[in-house]
Amino acid sequence: MTTLNNIFQNRGRAAIPPPLVALVLGIVLFGVGGLLAPGFTNPTQAVNIVRLAAFLGIIAAGQTLVIISGGEGIDLSAGALVTLGAILTYRITDGQDSLILPALGIVLLVGAAIGLLNGVGIALLGMPPLVITLGMAGVVTGLVYFYTRGELIGKTPPAMGRLLSQALIGPIPGVIVLWLLLGAAMWLLLERTPFGKHLFAIGVNRTAARLSGVRVNRVVILTYMASGALAAFGGFVLLGFTQTVFLNLGQPFLFPSIAAVVVGGTVLAGGKGSYWGTMAGALVLQVIDSLLLALQVEEAFQLMILGAILLVLLTMYGRQRAVRQ
Amino acid sequence: MKDISLQVEQTVKTYGGVVALADGNLSVRSGQVTALLGANGSGKSTLSKILTGVIAPNSGRILIDGKPASFNAPDQARRAGISAVYQELSLIPDLTVAENIWLGHEPLRAGFVHRAEMRARTRKLLALFGGLVKPNLQPDAAIDSLTPDERQIVEILKALSFDPRLIILDEATASLDSQQVNRLFELVRDWKTQGMAVVFVSHRMEEIFRIADKASVLRNGHTVGERDIAATNERELVDLMIEGAAVLGRERAPDVPADQPVRLRVQDLKTPVLRGVSLDLRDGELLGLGGLQGQGQADLLMAVFGAIRSSGRITVSGQERHFSHPRQAMQAEVALVPGDRGSEGLLLIRSILENLLLASWNRYNTPIRMPKARADGSTVGDDLKLVMASLDAPVSSLSGGNAQKVVIGKWLLRSPKLLLLNDPTKGIDVGAKAEFYNLLKQLRDAGTAILFYSSDDDELLGLCNRVLVLHDGAVSAELRGDGLTRENLVAASMGAA
Amino acid sequence: MNARLAGLLNRNPYLLSLVLLVLMIVINRALQDNLFEIGPLNGNLRVFTPAILLAVGQTFVIIAGGVDLSVGAILSMTNAILATQIPQEATAGVVVGALALAFGAGLLAGALNGFGVTVLRLQPIVTTYATGFIFSGVALYVLPEPGGRLPRDLTTFWRNPLEVSPDLHIPMAIFVIALLVIFWIVLTNTRYRQFLFATGSQADAAYSTGVRVNRVKFSTYLLSALFATLAALALTLGSGTGNPRAGDQSTLPSIVAVVLGGTRLSGGQGNIVGSIIGAVILGLIGNIISFADLDSWVRPLVDALIIIGALAIPGLIRLARRLLL
Repeated sequence: MTTLNNIFQNRGRAAIPPPLVALVLGIVLFGVGGLLAPGFTNPTQAVNIVRLAAFLGIIAAGQTLVIISGGEGIDLSAGALVTLGAILTYRITDGQDSLILPALGIVLLVGAAIGLLNGVGIALLGMPPLVITLGMAGVVTGLVYFYTRGELIGKTPPAMGRLLSQALIGPIPGVIVLWLLLGAAMWLLLERTPFGKHLFAIGVNRTAARLSGVRVNRVVILTYMASGALAAFGGFVLLGFTQTVFLNLGQPFLFPSIAAVVVGGTVLAGGKGSYWGTMAGALVLQVIDSLLLALQVEEAFQLMILGAILLVLLTMYGRQRAVRQ
Repeated sequence: MKDISLQVEQTVKTYGGVVALADGNLSVRSGQVTALLGANGSGKSTLSKILTGVIAPNSGRILIDGKPASFNAPDQARRAGISAVYQELSLIPDLTVAENIWLGHEPLRAGFVHRAEMRARTRKLLALFGGLVKPNLQPDAAIDSLTPDERQIVEILKALSFDPRLIILDEATASLDSQQVNRLFELVRDWKTQGMAVVFVSHRMEEIFRIADKASVLRNGHTVGERDIAATNERELVDLMIEGAAVLGRERAPDVPADQPVRLRVQDLKTPVLRGVSLDLRDGELLGLGGLQGQGQADLLMAVFGAIRSSGRITVSGQERHFSHPRQAMQAEVALVPGDRGSEGLLLIRSILENLLLASWNRYNTPIRMPKARADGSTVGDDLKLVMASLDAPVSSLSGGNAQKVVIGKWLLRSPKLLLLNDPTKGIDVGAKAEFYNLLKQLRDAGTAILFYSSDDDELLGLCNRVLVLHDGAVSAELRGDGLTRENLVAASMGAA
Repeated sequence: MNARLAGLLNRNPYLLSLVLLVLMIVINRALQDNLFEIGPLNGNLRVFTPAILLAVGQTFVIIAGGVDLSVGAILSMTNAILATQIPQEATAGVVVGALALAFGAGLLAGALNGFGVTVLRLQPIVTTYATGFIFSGVALYVLPEPGGRLPRDLTTFWRNPLEVSPDLHIPMAIFVIALLVIFWIVLTNTRYRQFLFATGSQADAAYSTGVRVNRVKFSTYLLSALFATLAALALTLGSGTGNPRAGDQSTLPSIVAVVLGGTRLSGGQGNIVGSIIGAVILGLIGNIISFADLDSWVRPLVDALIIIGALAIPGLIRLARRLLL
């Protein structure tokens, strides 16, 4: 029984890289969409999908890092951090372009601080990532309520909308350019820095990594800090698209961010994966999401289909070792 | 007990492209002890795991009392009367001794577990080893409070509790002291007269010749011969096991001149296991650590490397240091090849290149200069005569010997001045061992200070001129020169001087 | 002395939670004098009951080494079914039919989770997160908006304490808790209990000893779904109405309750008594926050901070022990 899983597991022969499979899957689904919803498959829709996928992709960057880091790594506070990042930007800039950069600085700092708390809890207190990031999501949401007191005052600086949402280079929106730059930066980080190599190492085997001189705790904490900062950055960028904020802005991105990573071939157990895969995964998920929207599927069915699709994708990509060999 | 006869014919087991067993055969009868021998990687463990239903063979036949049998799960093998004792322990840490022994077949009363009966039966089983274990070995003792020999005994009792007709002892004596082994062999003789069939998987010749009636030899996944013990000798069996014996010359290295700098000085080192160990090691010296497993050798090496906490004084290269993390030790040019390469030394799913460079990435700038890294990796691979498909192949595709070379290569890349090794040739085939011994000698001659624990007395005798034997967390003897003999090693390992 | 205390705590991990429980009761009593009068006592326990039941179900899954992130969604789903299938003038037959439907759906949900984890061999975290979406979708499909009204007889039966004698009124919740404890005591003396702990402690070793590890894991997801359905029953009887999003915020607290109760998240160790205590502690914390009369915009933050603090306690203790040793 040769499942797709077998194709990915490096049998010594040529293995098809999962990101490529995901990319092809996304394109195929896009074409199929045209059959289900006539008029779906056209260049404008394609650009739109890629643009929306870019936001998800940026948000899923941090998730990629923590999942690679192993130790059941996951960041369930990403959704709440997206909301916080957007709301902070909204209020601090209050519509003024000149305050965009300072706001960005604060957003990144706050995100990294929350990530630091996550990382310390995981590395030094031995708390399971699932539990602490889920709890931290509550804290961040609480912070949002506390900070805004329900009043969402502020304004989106026009420059953000111009640069991110609208076309920047030719017909390509700025956020896509940003996404590609992020992709390159993530590749550099993961494949061409000692940090990246150490990150994969602790994802595979923390004991062997430590005995080879890797400062495991340091890497874990830095990873969660990066994840927090990237999630908050995702919120910052998202504001350029939504132009407004609401208290539940980021939550719908949390689950898809995890799904994108898994679909892209990054192993949930850690130690193997890439951000290219996450990018392809984000595309696949966005195609599905846009298709469901075009078919005007009601929320109940959207949830069911989303869950079912993820189960199918997990079955193809994420199966674990059998108890009996 | 009903008599049993078991035949295994032409069994094959492959994992992907790796052939673990190519042609496994075995024939066992009531009242007989059949020894199963083979070098590491010969398929011994695979064959015994097939017999107990843990692994499913790709092809082949198993006949019990002349009738074909196949096992889809371990409890089926158990119901057929086959029980096994492994060295990789199968005990559940969070359950007690009694709960572990009776797991799956707990005595019941009206459908509920009868704990009092369970404890009583456990006590009867424990009595079989009475007087040879510490009093803390009770039915309600927690497994994680037991020492390795006590856990091994619980494993044996667990296999026994199933009232087996055939019992497989798979390297079951490694953690036992000599008196416990004697008692076990007494029990084995009792079982024989009761009609049990015994399979004794081991690499300890001396024990095989003591207890077995016949021997079946595996080599490279094939069963290559069967002999009656009474009609054969050690040499013949060893010849069957390996193609060309690894001859470790007994030429002693010249004594290290006293003017060589002392690379490592340890004074009164204490850990939860070590009770105050001291030693001196000079450049160009290959100092051996001996003794039975679990006497503190691993702790000593890990403590010097900064991987575990310890108290006492450690002086490296003339400076008193007490490393709190392996990274610090590495910066002081110390290296450690750990005991279990799979779980401690290698990143199995990553590439050979990444494993070789794991300790050295900081030396290649940021962004990493990959061509230089690859070149260095390639050079080390060549130096070690590493047999691999390419630097990018996963390290899990390598044989045991080559995988261990990668672990060493990782450290050689850093040219350490002090090299610590924890039983490095465990599970390596004979050819690779020979290459390894040469490598150690080269390093020693080039001036590296080497501290090296081996559970194989022959290795210590052949490589070292000085051996510190550890017993119960302290140095029980320092053997050198003419005093370094097998008898003295064994005696010191038992605590007798 | 230190070692004996450590040993005692090791074998009975919920002792610490008992201390926390007493502390919470004391604080709560200080803020609310009539805490122990039958009215408020009954009200509180009734409100805590769904959370207690969710925590108990979650305990089984966690002891066996997994986790169930869909319990909240199963609660929502079965709550929706009960609310829609039991009209105000329902006969006994209709009620029984509705119960059968709700429990049937719940068990099917548990079976899906169990199937995903044991047959498809997917990781529990992401699997139950995915199935949670499916169950939430079903809940919305069955009951798009909060509504429904249960027969007065049923709700009154549940809401009022049982009058054993004119002076002795026992809240229904007490019976539930008593039944749970009896259930656990009975279970502790079965082979199943051994299999459960063996599977969670060291699944490979358990398997080679003949434990049907997959069956055990599957059964825990059925149990978790069963208790989630019971929780929905308690909730529906208590509120008299249905809400398709009733369980959305209930999943995390169920895990927190289990952790607070001393059960180890990695499996192999645990006790539902601790989880019951943990759920009550969380309920009391909620009370305390209400009575502390905090600004409603501060409450979510305080609540989340307390939860994170409680979750950090085992880790802080471990850290303290390591540093002081």
